[in-house]
Amino acid sequence: MNVRARDSRTADLFAAELAAASPPAPASAPTPIPIPAAAPPPPAPPAARAAPPRRPSLWYAVLFPELLDAPAAPQRLVHLARRAQRYTSLVSLEPPAALLLEIRGSLRLFGAPDALRARIDADWAHAGLRARSAAAPSPLAALWLARAGASITVEDPAALAGRLASLPLACTGWEAPRLERLRAIGIVRLGELLRLPRAGLARRFGPALLAELDAALARVGSPRRAFVPPERFAARRDFEVEIEETARLAAALAPLVERCARFLCARRAGVQRLQLRLWHRTAPATRVTLGFAGVTGDPRRLQRVLEERLSQLVLVAPVRAAALASGALESLPGESGDAFGGAATSAAALPLIERLRARLGEHAVYGVAAIAEHRPEVASRRVREPGLADARPPLEAMGVPRPVLLLPTPRRLAASPAADARPCDWRLERGPERIESGWWDGADVARDYYVACDRRGARGWIFQERRDRHWYLHGLFA
Amino acid sequence: MPRDPRSLAELLADARVWRLKDATAATSRPAWPTGRAALDARLPDGGWPTAALVEVLLAGHGLGEVQLFLPALLAGGAEREAGGGRWLIWIAPPYEPYAPALAQQGLDLRRFLVVRPASGVEALWAAEQALQSGACTAVFLWLKGSDLRWLRRLKLAAEEGGALGVLFRPEHHRFESSPANLRLAVSRDAAGLRLELLKVRGGQPASIALEP
Repeated sequence: MNVRARDSRTADLFAAELAAASPPAPASAPTPIPIPAAAPPPPAPPAARAAPPRRPSLWYAVLFPELLDAPAAPQRLVHLARRAQRYTSLVSLEPPAALLLEIRGSLRLFGAPDALRARIDADWAHAGLRARSAAAPSPLAALWLARAGASITVEDPAALAGRLASLPLACTGWEAPRLERLRAIGIVRLGELLRLPRAGLARRFGPALLAELDAALARVGSPRRAFVPPERFAARRDFEVEIEETARLAAALAPLVERCARFLCARRAGVQRLQLRLWHRTAPATRVTLGFAGVTGDPRRLQRVLEERLSQLVLVAPVRAAALASGALESLPGESGDAFGGAATSAAALPLIERLRARLGEHAVYGVAAIAEHRPEVASRRVREPGLADARPPLEAMGVPRPVLLLPTPRRLAASPAADARPCDWRLERGPERIESGWWDGADVARDYYVACDRRGARGWIFQERRDRHWYLHGLFA
Repeated sequence: MPRDPRSLAELLADARVWRLKDATAATSRPAWPTGRAALDARLPDGGWPTAALVEVLLAGHGLGEVQLFLPALLAGGAEREAGGGRWLIWIAPPYEPYAPALAQQGLDLRRFLVVRPASGVEALWAAEQALQSGACTAVFLWLKGSDLRWLRRLKLAAEEGGALGVLFRPEHHRFESSPANLRLAVSRDAAGLRLELLKVRGGQPASIALEP
């Protein structure tokens, strides 16, 4: 068939070919069921023009390229979805890096579709984000146009097929095998796909492909799950008499903590952090963060950490009101699972860790994790949750001695100026072990490590920098 | 520490349970063999005590002071695996605990915690909390100053929580009195590691040379 001759009327042809290829089906038979290869393909839904005069929806899709490989993409996407909610009540997440907004209902408030799209785009630019957007009558079409970088607004469903025709197939985001098979029969653009007979498409690629094309062309509705912002707890209490002592403050806050615990309990959720705010008449508000060693909703643990934290606090002025607020709720760990490794007895350490953190500070209490790295200074890392560390990390140098204490930065050792001199106070006992690594991130090392003994009998891990021949102490075999 | 002892043996193995061997013998508690026969022979229970405070006086860091305890703790910890691993906590170590070395020796890093208090008093407070919590196998504390009242509290906390408290202090505290159950001074000379048992509850002071 000569595809190039029929350019602008692809949608009509698509429908017409279907009508010719398949027997008329009863109108009440939606067929999103997988069909055997020989069965007739699912009937095309009536074209949008023939549909009941319902106002077609209009979807704004936006893609944030920098979220594609970002570490905290899910959280950032949720954050952006929350921001997008000022434009419409129906925001839908399209992980990993896109959002869909139904904006038909917002046009009355914000004006023409193009103006609204420009306005939302300006919002992303204001937030310092690169964003690619498009608007179309179906979420899929809007998404595909945005992925292709089309930056257009298509309002009329009838114009959709023509607009999509020139897009490369890759912007559908389909799985590689499907794209591969389409490419094998010479199809690289959506227009070429839309011109194929439905019967043949269904036989070769299954009904799912047809269903997606119908959804993209807005022939069938495509319901999207609306984004629901995560729930938070927030409550405030005003005191009749100003409170001057932290001990009394802790008691006065107990009802708030109690309410928070009930709120969490009702949702079978917990928190790992609570924000406490204290208002004074004569000074700016005080902010206090309560950190927990694991996700918890236990009122006793909440209260205990609150008391410990308050006991460390010096009130700048009497407190007249206080508010307690949670961040996003987190699901409670199961009976056996916990951030600290699972076994029920390890939970015995959680109150201890919380007490220590509440008094000494969040960063004063930590675990260590071994990283598979040759460079000693990056092979060990502080971690907030020791329970999440690997039990037995793979170690390359299993048989080679490593010191239990490492200096945060290697300490230069005195050596006689002669070339290749040994450090003055150290006797080399074992080595060298050459460690060369890290050239790719600029922090490269080229060192010869030795186990050495000093005059007092301390055993150290020392190395000679291969470039400048200086000696350094890096660890102690304590 | 709320634990359900499943058997009499386990109950007796609990560090807080004192058992009379016979009418004349001294009370005996479970101990962790140190892995060095010469040392075990000198210790009253044949190893490091479990619910007690041990004070180690050091001329400097890096003498192998941690290695005196770590292998014994790991062996003792393995026996307790059935009851769920307990924690090892290091408070104010002079440098950063190095994860690959600890993992290499078989320490479960999921039960290992480092605490960096801002002051000596906070370090002592943290040690007391950790020792009496019942969640720890052992607590290592590197301490510079001296405070007899606090050391007594640490000893009580260790006995209460069934944990081994190890206190690393500079050698110049050697002639001060101390409530610790066991005091030793560690030094290294040409012959190797030398341990002087300065105070041994239920035993005799001694000087022991260990292999290098």
